[in-house]
Amino acid sequence: MRDSFKNLLITVSAVASMMVISCTREACFDETNALLKASLYLDSLQTITAPDSLTLYGLGMDTSKIYNKSAFIKQALIPLNSSEAGCRFIVRINGVSDTLSLWYTSFPHLVSQVCGYTFYHTLDSVAVTNNIIDTIKVTTNSVTTLNGENIRIYY
Amino acid sequence: MEKTSVYIISTLIFLSSSTALAQDQIPDSVDIPLKFKAAIEISGPTIYLADKNILNIEGYFAADLNEQTAIYIGTGYSDFKYSQYNYDYNNKGVFLKTGLDFNLLKPETAMGKYWAGIGLHYGLSIFNSETPFLKYENYWGITSSSIARATHWGHYLEVSPGFRAEISGNFTIGWSVSMRKLIYSGTGKDLKPIYIPGYGTADKSFSAGISYFLMWNIPYKKIRVAVKQESPEEPEETEIPGNNTDSQSLEDAPGGFR
Repeated sequence: MRDSFKNLLITVSAVASMMVISCTREACFDETNALLKASLYLDSLQTITAPDSLTLYGLGMDTSKIYNKSAFIKQALIPLNSSEAGCRFIVRINGVSDTLSLWYTSFPHLVSQVCGYTFYHTLDSVAVTNNIIDTIKVTTNSVTTLNGENIRIYY
Repeated sequence: MEKTSVYIISTLIFLSSSTALAQDQIPDSVDIPLKFKAAIEISGPTIYLADKNILNIEGYFAADLNEQTAIYIGTGYSDFKYSQYNYDYNNKGVFLKTGLDFNLLKPETAMGKYWAGIGLHYGLSIFNSETPFLKYENYWGITSSSIARATHWGHYLEVSPGFRAEISGNFTIGWSVSMRKLIYSGTGKDLKPIYIPGYGTADKSFSAGISYFLMWNIPYKKIRVAVKQESPEEPEETEIPGNNTDSQSLEDAPGGFR
């Protein structure tokens, strides 16, 4: 009888603590944006080099710039449009503009229960005008939340 | 961590009290009833009363093979719904677990009434899940999408230490802490299920939980188990210099004093 009472007490207290724990909602601390990572290489030296000035924005989005005359940027982080199969960006390096075109496939990826979903992308092809940018090289075509390099921009 | 502490503390309380009882009188052998057991998990329906988004109905059957080992077959049904500002998620399915339960108590302590041990189980779930709404926002604006309902199979291993005690007649209550390792979620790495029936929250490869059971036992056979007798400790002999040696020599000596 005494043991039964002890067990019942343990059971009731454990159920109560479990219910309290299960009601606590966590916060999202994981990275939820899958950004294309574009390293900026100086073509003459073939080394990663930050330009004096970098301006970057989506075509038709000139009121909302991702970088605006920013210095010390060696790797640009570029958000892709998950609703479309491609998007274009204006890339202005040291005052000279080029248009960067990217085509890709997007698919949802679960980050975690508390963070929800993001969109990952697989790069299909890239193209660029050649005013200051010389070439583009794709190094990794999977655009995820992980760190790494996706493309190299030689200028 | 709190769950594990509850388990450890209450197990220690039980083991210390039962060991003390067992030390009073140790018979040569004990009769242990082997039983068929049918159990239902009681916290799942209780939680559902407070949170209509999680229904978990679970039970198991077990059959004692001997005084220590039992075959375990568990089954259950889950209906899980989750919603937050950027997505909705639905999951429902059934699961089957099978394995062995090991009673770590001595037979003379357990007496067929108590169980403190560990279960090693393999779990298999079949479930269907869908994300009827998801929203993702970035520089380009909001992307709304959905993931269609699909059926998947999930596999996992479960280690369940726990405790059971007979409360009256053929009824037993008890609980177990379940620690589970996901082997395969049944989906690709991008669309991992948020929940797997029988496993729990599945966005991580390890899950833990507590289950509370009410069990009905049907004895089907009695076995006699020999009790391992511990040899009584011999009292330490303290040698008094000159005493023991002298008495020995007196007894051995022909015509010595007695």
